[in-house]
Amino acid sequence: MRRLLTILLMLGACSIAQAQKGTPADMVHVKGGTFVPLYGSNNQAVAVQGFQMDKYPVTNAQYEAFVAEYPKWRKSDVKALFADAGYLKHWGSELGVGSNADKLKDSPVINVSWFAAKAYCECQGKRLPTVNEWEFAALASETKKDASSEPSFYQRSLDWYSQPNPKYLPPVQNTFKNYYGLYGMIGLVWEWTSDFNSALIVGESRQNASLDRQLFCGAGSTGASDVKNYVAFMRYAFRSSLKANYTVANLGFRCAQDVPAKTTAKK
Amino acid sequence: MKRYTLYLFSLIAFSLTACQQEVALEEDSCCTKPLAADALPDGTSSLAIPTSALTDMSLYQLESDWHNERGEELKLREFQGKVRLVAMIYTHCGYACPRIVADLKRIEMGLEQYKQDDIGIVLVTMDPARDTPERLFEFAKSNNLDPQRWTLLTSEQDNIRELAALLNMKYKVELDGEISHSNIISVLNVNGEIIHQAEGLGVEPDETVNAIKSLLLRI
Repeated sequence: MRRLLTILLMLGACSIAQAQKGTPADMVHVKGGTFVPLYGSNNQAVAVQGFQMDKYPVTNAQYEAFVAEYPKWRKSDVKALFADAGYLKHWGSELGVGSNADKLKDSPVINVSWFAAKAYCECQGKRLPTVNEWEFAALASETKKDASSEPSFYQRSLDWYSQPNPKYLPPVQNTFKNYYGLYGMIGLVWEWTSDFNSALIVGESRQNASLDRQLFCGAGSTGASDVKNYVAFMRYAFRSSLKANYTVANLGFRCAQDVPAKTTAKK
Repeated sequence: MKRYTLYLFSLIAFSLTACQQEVALEEDSCCTKPLAADALPDGTSSLAIPTSALTDMSLYQLESDWHNERGEELKLREFQGKVRLVAMIYTHCGYACPRIVADLKRIEMGLEQYKQDDIGIVLVTMDPARDTPERLFEFAKSNNLDPQRWTLLTSEQDNIRELAALLNMKYKVELDGEISHSNIISVLNVNGEIIHQAEGLGVEPDETVNAIKSLLLRI
């Protein structure tokens, strides 16, 4: 009987090791759940499957390594279709930040288009997070998974919004760390999402319902779930104003990944 | 006790294999994708793919794989060489999509003097789960879409979202399965660059027709 216990213990240890191996060191696991998105679900809760997310937004140094390996994403080689003229405009040279490297190498990369962010993540075997994944993970304060009912939590965003962009963005490690261990979800830069073009907050839809019907099938996607939540509304509105080749001086990204399928299934 | 032993053995075996197995790395879908083979699935040789270099703003730079309503695999660059009207739809849509198709037909009527070879119309689904090539084929048939002129396309959701981003289309699958989406008809020139876009339903076709006519004059 004691032998059985030993084996069971071993098995337990093994499965813990497996679970840890499932999440790379530079990512955290965000346990799935449901939440009511601020926008677009008619106040219904949506389910988010568990996923893995980069701890930090992608930095200039990481992006330098990427363009070194994939020349088509260098400033002079990138196609206008995939990135506008402001692409990496804060970089001093073709291959990197240049003279400000000491100040910026660990700061989030900005001035990157959706296509560039998407390609970067795909080249790491990852993907961009969805809007729902990003918003779900961003609901966390330092201590709580869901801080959506805490006014003090929103104050952090409001304080951030009211600050002008700093000349040099801080290193990604020196930022707000939330419950999941994600850094800089609030207070650093805006971030790209895979389905950023799913928010239908265009000028026309804000006017009246009959116009909605003109423009959208399945209409009725308007109306925020919590009008007080100006903070998240800003994010949705900002996303809806973007086009995929836009580059913006305070818009970066981080990557995500599905939780690897159970490894016991097949070899 | 014998039963236990068997049980234990299977547990040990199970735990060992579980421990040894590495987490399978996802297939690298990255920039180094090889080009698709030249042969079509039915064994015939490939369609003549125009080899002229794609311009910087050509949508046909997308490397993604698509299927048309006949189930044939294709790349967007195969649409080079003709002026194209492009719109996004889903066939379960009860309101806006039939009207988008009606709008496209009105534009088509304004171009009656042109040969079928001059203009192509492409409908892209936003609902790949339900809009299989077969379903798209049925949709084309029931809407009397001339197969010489109309192509219906589906692909993986990621590829569709990428093309939508280039067409400035926004869409979102609602919880009830409906898709909220903007309605945009785009005119692409022979190189696959967006020349004109009409947003909304029931837009007068004149501007779009004129945009196409001016393109065809230049060919």
